[in-house]
Amino acid sequence: MKKFLTTAFLFTLAAVAFAQGAPAAAPVAKSLFEGQFTAHIALAIAAAGCGLAQGKAVVAACEGVARNPQAAGNIRTTMIIGLALIEALVIYVLVAAFAIK
Amino acid sequence: MEHHPSLLAQWLTQILHLARHAWPGFAHGEPLSVLERYDHLLNALLAALVAMAITTLVRKNLSRIPGPLQQVFEGVVEWVQGMIGDNIAHHGERYLPFIGTMALFVFFNNLFGLIPGLSPATSNWNVTLGAALVVFAYYNFHGMKEQGFGKYWAHFAGPIWWLMPLMFPLEILGLLSRILSHSLRLFGNIAGEHVVAGIFFGLMPLLLPVPMMVLGLFFGLIQTFVFTMLAVIYLSGAVSHEH
Repeated sequence: MKKFLTTAFLFTLAAVAFAQGAPAAAPVAKSLFEGQFTAHIALAIAAAGCGLAQGKAVVAACEGVARNPQAAGNIRTTMIIGLALIEALVIYVLVAAFAIK
Repeated sequence: MEHHPSLLAQWLTQILHLARHAWPGFAHGEPLSVLERYDHLLNALLAALVAMAITTLVRKNLSRIPGPLQQVFEGVVEWVQGMIGDNIAHHGERYLPFIGTMALFVFFNNLFGLIPGLSPATSNWNVTLGAALVVFAYYNFHGMKEQGFGKYWAHFAGPIWWLMPLMFPLEILGLLSRILSHSLRLFGNIAGEHVVAGIFFGLMPLLLPVPMMVLGLFFGLIQTFVFTMLAVIYLSGAVSHEH
């Protein structure tokens, strides 16, 4: 949810930035894959991959808890650590997106 | 990244009549006062003071019949104790003060983003990098203390001697990159959440940011848990003896 919102926000920002920047700035020939646009696309791809991966992790954890409810505590802890490690990859891209400006 | 000083820093700047000037290489030369430039330190200090005040209050009023605040803090201590006990086999309790203090510091800093006018100090990489460096120094120190200097570093060379030239640099690289991942994870999560809440606030200040702030409360807790848990795991990896 958070990453979806972040991505959606960055796209909105991109639309606003392009809309504002277009008339004012001098028409410097610039590749589309340069600057902010790259960051937004990269973040979208990273968020998509992260969503799939986290979904798989949560499915496995839920199945584990359903089969053996007594292990719920351990499974939850392990799952959260795993989710954090997966999420870290998107966070790297987010930091890179912050850096490209 | 643009710099948005917290309202508290701006307010204090006005009250104290601090001079604003440009900072070379920072925020595109925007004029900022010293408090606005270093507002993460202001917020971190404030969070630490609040945490210390609350814990001192609890410490002073310890009783056999715990009040609500004492129950909350007993829960926190038991939670950290459980986490250490699950991961570190022998004498884990000696690490409780450090890990618990760090968890409280990170937690209070994360939650300070939810108070209007303040920004979370953990949404600045300098603060999380500092925390990660302290954890890094702590577990390396205790690893060397528990296992001995030579044995601790020999541990990175791997079991096969002729693979040592390959393994040792890789393991050291992995050890150093832990600092980066440990700090960037906390920073990215809190900063991203804060930015999104800020955008929602910009769209409509009334009620719209509330769902995001609820998520922020949740993520602040989860990120504290993850940061503390990873610190405990790194520590357990450093101090555990191989039998």
